Amino acid sequence: MKLLGKLFWAAVAAGAAIGLGGIALYRGEHIDSIWLVLAAACSYATGYRFYAKFIATRVMSLNDKRATPAERLRNGHDYEPTNKWIVFGHHFAAIAGPGPLVGPVLAAQFGYLPGTLWIIIGAVLGGAVQDFVILFASMRRDGKSLGQMAREEIGKVGGFTALLTVLLIMIILLAVVGLVVVNALRGSAWGTFTIAATMPIALFMGLYLRYWRPGKVLECSAIGFVLVMASIFAGRSVAESATLAPVFTLGAMTLAIGIILYGFLASALPVWLLLAPRDYLSTFVKLGVVLMLGVGILFVRPELQLPAFTRFVDGTGPIFAGKVFPFCFITIACGAISGFHSLISSGTTPKMIAKETHAWPVGYGSMLLESFVAIMAMIAACVLQPGVYFAVNSPAGVVGATPAAAVAAITSWGFPVTVQEMTNLARDVGEQTLFYRTGGAPSLALGMAHIFARSGGGQAVIGFWYHFAIMFEALFILTIIDAGTRVGRFMLQDLLGHISPSLGRTSWMPGVIATSALVVAGWGYFLVQGVRDPLGGINSLWPLFGISNQLLAAIALCVATTILLKMHGPKFMWITCVPLAWLVTVTFTAGWQKVFSPLPAIGFLAQADKLEAGPATAATTTLIFNARLDAALCCILVVMVAAILVDSLRVWIGIIRGTRDADIAESPFVLSQLRAEEL
Amino acid sequence: MRRLRRAGELLLALLRELGDENAYRRHLAAHGRAHSREEWQRFSEEHLRAKYARAKCC
Repeated sequence: MKLLGKLFWAAVAAGAAIGLGGIALYRGEHIDSIWLVLAAACSYATGYRFYAKFIATRVMSLNDKRATPAERLRNGHDYEPTNKWIVFGHHFAAIAGPGPLVGPVLAAQFGYLPGTLWIIIGAVLGGAVQDFVILFASMRRDGKSLGQMAREEIGKVGGFTALLTVLLIMIILLAVVGLVVVNALRGSAWGTFTIAATMPIALFMGLYLRYWRPGKVLECSAIGFVLVMASIFAGRSVAESATLAPVFTLGAMTLAIGIILYGFLASALPVWLLLAPRDYLSTFVKLGVVLMLGVGILFVRPELQLPAFTRFVDGTGPIFAGKVFPFCFITIACGAISGFHSLISSGTTPKMIAKETHAWPVGYGSMLLESFVAIMAMIAACVLQPGVYFAVNSPAGVVGATPAAAVAAITSWGFPVTVQEMTNLARDVGEQTLFYRTGGAPSLALGMAHIFARSGGGQAVIGFWYHFAIMFEALFILTIIDAGTRVGRFMLQDLLGHISPSLGRTSWMPGVIATSALVVAGWGYFLVQGVRDPLGGINSLWPLFGISNQLLAAIALCVATTILLKMHGPKFMWITCVPLAWLVTVTFTAGWQKVFSPLPAIGFLAQADKLEAGPATAATTTLIFNARLDAALCCILVVMVAAILVDSLRVWIGIIRGTRDADIAESPFVLSQLRAEEL
Repeated sequence: MRRLRRAGELLLALLRELGDENAYRRHLAAHGRAHSREEWQRFSEEHLRAKYARAKCC
């Protein structure tokens, strides 16, 4: 490395140290959000340049002379060598979901520091490493999926466990994101109208693409975007109309039933009619909004209003109960490390990589960008006044059922807020109330609206930006619901096909309807459970989702460790073993506490016992059953991952002792003929 | 200026990739067929069925 290069990287590393030191050591005064941006950007750059390079060159020995599956198996369909920046964008669009946006907003109840440090360190040493190693492993195995690799590298238990864990995660994920949408739209005529309007818009787009302008996806998406923006403007008039406002002002249960019906229809309808056009639209909007938020933060440089730590690190938080360890680390999954990414890294992406070295920016770099999105979400949450943040995110069951009781409780915690302040804010954004809007989406929308409005337009346009942000969140959450229900249906059909071959046929309509109904019933049950939960639902469902997602990451890291062990012996095992050990510690501790904690706000069984000791009604009987069901689900997830961990340890010990075959199942070397100008 | 144009081309190519327009072009080239409504319908049915059989990330 030349002297200038060395000086540059020394400056970047110093920037990371100063940024991290800055956010960690400031106390008692508001800090500029640029400190978080500096700490994150410089840490990512250092990790990418040195740690990822070490993994790419010393561990993986990436070799551009070796033909990738995209070149060897090129078929003009899924195997296609593609420009690395296009694969980067494609992969990023595939891994970026609501998780990195909602998780940091919820974890901000501990203050900005724990979540921010976890997002940065977790991504550099854990999440990006997982995505990179799994992408590399799949690329060297003709694009095999995580389940196939788990089966081949560890054993049948691993493969089956991975499949079952994914199905359970899908159920919990769809329920929890459904709940986020319900809480964002509850009592909001403007928001509900805008989101309802996206459905006929998507149908119009589907028909436009199918019959009028076949193949013109970008043109059609641009028209769809204009129509969605028009619906946001029209939403204000709807909310102010005495006739229309009551039609679109819906309660939580009505919205939940609406989303369940939508999920079923979207899963059973032809994919070109509703699902695909919505997906195109939401992908473009998602990328555009992420870019806008990044530019907005750099332009506005808002001050963080939340402190570095709040009193709730002790586990008494109103948004979800539990101490900063382990709950901060399961609440923020996707921004730091997400098991779900390993499915994408072993899905479409390895079949598009043209040169082996492209796996470095695509696998490692995309995760860093996703982590940066989580940092932006953290900033958006922390620019709110703490009193407002807690008033929006705390459920009535914790802070009291009236606005006066809620502000009294929140003010007594040291975060002053008044009913008048909340009423004015709700009026400014065109909502009836902003109390008890749990789930993270409304507070994120408020933070984003604050940043966008300060970038241009001021308070006069804050209502538009709030609903634009709600539309952005709900649009791609609903896309995850319809696509996820469909995927869950395919997985269930795959499993049931072993019992009855007709149920496994995706073209047999009774089977399609039955399995769609089963999957929708699965996540719909948990969604209704969340709506009925007096603690707001997020308290029980989000930790379950976090635990299951992190457990899937543990499975992926077991596979990755086995592969590294077979390649090099125990020399480089630490690369994946360190994040694996951390995840196992965090998730098993969180799982144990969620099931067995004697505190009813945390432990499902203690919650059931407390309810059982009270007066017996039909509602409490359901709540008791739900708490025990959640406990059982948590146990199943932990036991499944314990099984795969034990199985992996058995394999690792065998390889190290030399009693087990350590053959690497990579595809044979073929010299690449691909020229740079072909990309 | 050339770099800016190249960046713009890449961005457009990314949007086309995300919108499956590139996949459709590859499909036409691979099968030696010309664009038509029927061809797009055939492609989108096959392509989208496979696309939405895979999990979407959280």
